[in-house]
Amino acid sequence: MDELRADPDEPGDGRTSEHSDPEAGGEAAFRHRIEPRSRTEYAADLEQRSVSGWAPDGARVDAPAEVLRRFEPRRAGLPEVSADQAAAYLDAHRAERPWLAAADGCRPEVQRIFAALDQGGGHAHVRHEGWVTEEMNQRRVAYLEDPAQLDLAKRAVGIDGILSGNQLHRCGSIATRITNPEAFAAAVTRGVEHPDVRAALETSFKERRAPGQVILPIADLLGSHGYRCCTGWQLDTVDGSMKTARERRDAFAEALARRTIPDGPEPRARPVRTFDGGTIIFTFGPNHGRNGYEIVTMYVNPPERAAGRDTR
Amino acid sequence: MNEAYWAKNPSAPFATLIAVAATYCHPEAYGGAYADLIDRARSPEPDDDEIQVFKGQLTEALADPSRLPDDELFKAVDYGDGSDERFLRRLWRDLYGDEPMAGS
Repeated sequence: MDELRADPDEPGDGRTSEHSDPEAGGEAAFRHRIEPRSRTEYAADLEQRSVSGWAPDGARVDAPAEVLRRFEPRRAGLPEVSADQAAAYLDAHRAERPWLAAADGCRPEVQRIFAALDQGGGHAHVRHEGWVTEEMNQRRVAYLEDPAQLDLAKRAVGIDGILSGNQLHRCGSIATRITNPEAFAAAVTRGVEHPDVRAALETSFKERRAPGQVILPIADLLGSHGYRCCTGWQLDTVDGSMKTARERRDAFAEALARRTIPDGPEPRARPVRTFDGGTIIFTFGPNHGRNGYEIVTMYVNPPERAAGRDTR
Repeated sequence: MNEAYWAKNPSAPFATLIAVAATYCHPEAYGGAYADLIDRARSPEPDDDEIQVFKGQLTEALADPSRLPDDELFKAVDYGDGSDERFLRRLWRDLYGDEPMAGS
């Protein structure tokens, strides 16, 4: 894959198709019409495909309309949204909130879930859903580049796109997503109905306290083949240790943020081989009104062996 | 069923320490979570039994980090400190400053 990244005519420095200008004339515009992805984006897709067998348009899960219609935003601490309101919301906010594009062309039930989530404080649909490309997740885990950061100069130096005050983005040793918006919407709907998630959301609010994570099998929410809708990138271990890799990645990213030359080697990330047997993690925090709790994020996690964790 | 280490067996070794650390210290925790934990630890409310248990287990873990269950702390928190012990030391320093650990 390195040869794809090394072409001097292409943005191998992390610039993706987000940066390309299809309106520009000449060869670049022609190439964009044929293949809208940059070479680095294409390389990441190819690497993901070769390792995990992921097929961009091939993974589907059973997400019946009646399941999606069951979603009650208020039960998730979100504002009530009708299907009509959802379509209008997506139209009105798509330009400045590009993650909403993931719901384009989806059924009204799916669009309603995205519109409701986007009006809450959670970021699951921003960082862990299909609008995030394979390359974005690869760069998130390797360099702490936040997909939610829309200012590309800030993204390149690791500034978080959601937290205020130019804080550094945080990411663990893995970055994952549910690649299909219908699967994502189904996971949200079934997750919000799960008794353990309900218990967390219905916890009496107290300042400075938050319910603990809820970790559920992917199969429980998305069916036995749901894992096929999941992709992710994890740090390559260093000397056999993920803890060391994680520590060195943070040091590398902090050096980039200070605009200094990092001491250590460049972090490397590789695709997660499989999510078969994996889990979906729900994390909770105070809502905007600070009178209840909401789902801060929801993301998939591979089974432990596939995650390559270590005890060192 | 919640498959989290502490949820599967609330009386498992260091279950409260790992649960609280996961809630407040994981990179995917809500914005301001770590600051909330610091406040909660420094000014515990009288009914906050969990933070008292947490402090006791943090002290125990620091006394002998090898007693922590295999990899459960890193799996739950995904910290960037390099080792359980360094993470726990940072946590103690941030939460309790120069306060000596019980038994030390």
